[in-house]
Amino acid sequence: MSASASSARPLLEARDLRVVRAGRVLASADHLLLDGGRVHVLLGANGSGKSTLLRALNGLEAAEGELSFGGRPVATSADRLALRRRTAAVFQKAYLLDTTVQGNVESGLRLRGVGRVAARRRADEALELLDIAGLRNRRPAHLSGGEAQRVSIARALAVDPEVLFFDEPTSSLDPPTRAALVGDLSSIFARSQMAVVWVTHDRDEALAVGDVVSFLEDGRVTQSGRAADVFSHPATASFAAFLGLDAYLEGTVVNGEDGLTRLFTPGGLELVCGDAEDGPAVACLPPEDVVLFTRPPDAHSASLRNLLPGHVREVRPSGRLLLVSVAAGEMEVAALVTRAAIEDLGLAAGSEVIAAFKASAVHPIPRHQWQPR
Amino acid sequence: MQILWSGFVEALRLLLGGDPELLQVTLRSLWVSGLALLVAVVVGVPLGGLLALRHFRGRGLLITAVNTGMAAPPVVVGLLVALFLTRSGPFGDLSLLYTNWAMVIAQIIIALPIVIGLSLAALQQLEPGLLQQIEALGAGRLQAFLLQLREIRVALLATVMAAFGAVISEVGAVMMVGGNIRGQTQVLTGAIVQETRIGRFANAIALAIVLMLLAFGTNLALTFIQQRGRRRA
Repeated sequence: MSASASSARPLLEARDLRVVRAGRVLASADHLLLDGGRVHVLLGANGSGKSTLLRALNGLEAAEGELSFGGRPVATSADRLALRRRTAAVFQKAYLLDTTVQGNVESGLRLRGVGRVAARRRADEALELLDIAGLRNRRPAHLSGGEAQRVSIARALAVDPEVLFFDEPTSSLDPPTRAALVGDLSSIFARSQMAVVWVTHDRDEALAVGDVVSFLEDGRVTQSGRAADVFSHPATASFAAFLGLDAYLEGTVVNGEDGLTRLFTPGGLELVCGDAEDGPAVACLPPEDVVLFTRPPDAHSASLRNLLPGHVREVRPSGRLLLVSVAAGEMEVAALVTRAAIEDLGLAAGSEVIAAFKASAVHPIPRHQWQPR
Repeated sequence: MQILWSGFVEALRLLLGGDPELLQVTLRSLWVSGLALLVAVVVGVPLGGLLALRHFRGRGLLITAVNTGMAAPPVVVGLLVALFLTRSGPFGDLSLLYTNWAMVIAQIIIALPIVIGLSLAALQQLEPGLLQQIEALGAGRLQAFLLQLREIRVALLATVMAAFGAVISEVGAVMMVGGNIRGQTQVLTGAIVQETRIGRFANAIALAIVLMLLAFGTNLALTFIQQRGRRRA
């Protein structure tokens, strides 16, 4: 799809945006900027208000506060219609009209006043882009879930939207179908200048597609930033828990003269950690960064600066991997390992192990930024 | 049995011979019921949409009233219309009682709740997410409503068939407000009543056959339109 936004000015901007129904704030965002060519993920658990926020940003729902699109305020219902006519949305379920695939993909264009011939040509392009040109004469009842969602996405792309809103578009698809679709979409986005708002509760999907991630809790955006930063520095206990970083340590960060940053816990534990300012801090440890050994590791593993001896408390499945909880003194460390590794090491509840991790795996967040649950 | 057979033969003779009175009564029936149906659909479908898609105070009460109206006996409707149109009634000055217009009015009142009630039910069957998607596609209010009507077109045609069936077959209201005047306000149903009453069974049977053919033909055409898109993959 063609480029449309090249200015540095944000395409869509929300300030103090609040969706209020019956005196209750369903979703709010203090400040949200959407730039062309970027994928902005709204991440959160079910009921966190992310879909409501998406509807407010898309002009499907009236909201209090300021919303501006291309520098112009979106205030009246006519403004919201104008906004919807320059954007497109795809929802969790592909709501297709009772007509052919071709008719569906043309529908957005026709509603926006595009002539029959031009609509047909642009629909054809979108069908090719989503690799579903062969389905053009089918009706929705004869499509699989994955095909229907591709039609819905083709219909959205056909209108050449300046902002594309995705509300959990893959959550009802099976894993291979979802992976194929996310892969195709990522390459489409990479070539396009449109801004994408992608709502999901799936952190892996958020990491796979997101340039910017905003995390929502109880209808409020509590953290926003570059995907990699947000994921490695969760600023609230609930976000850390959402990311599976259940174990976090409180302590004091000290930058030593040896050039290493250390976190000292009140229990006397000393961990070499990633860059952080001196002072009280909370640190999270992603389980995928933790390696388990039954004997002290060799010298070539010297970058594993933190070695914590302990014993296995519990082993439980986590997706295709196993999550091993290790009690190491006052600290509880979780490690994600393969089933083969568990068998090789002969691990079971009570086994003696050494949990090892790099300094960069420990991400201290200044105490004052941390919001406990 | 003899009476039935000879009546049937005579009926066929009247039909095939193109009896002018039979033709006139048939056309009057079609005109009265067709016009009533047209008005009921043009007014009733948007009202059904309003009740299905907008939320306002008293909506529940209105829906109950519509659903009650769907079951209103034609004689009761006829009585009400007669009371309004009679010389001393509020619209007596219009001199509409015992005219074709009075019958059209009565049949609109019979058909309207059916059209409102069934289109309302069909629109409410649509998933709320679909309306949201239609709006997200860039549809304005009217466009969104028309697209939703397109989505319920099968149910909408069933609504038209049900309403047509109700008005073309009713006898109570047309006789009360039209007077069943031969050559002026007599329609098929009223004529069947009269011919039977005076023992002209052949004429009654002929009229009944025409009425059945009308109902059959109309529904055949509507069913054809309704099912046309269904068979395509």
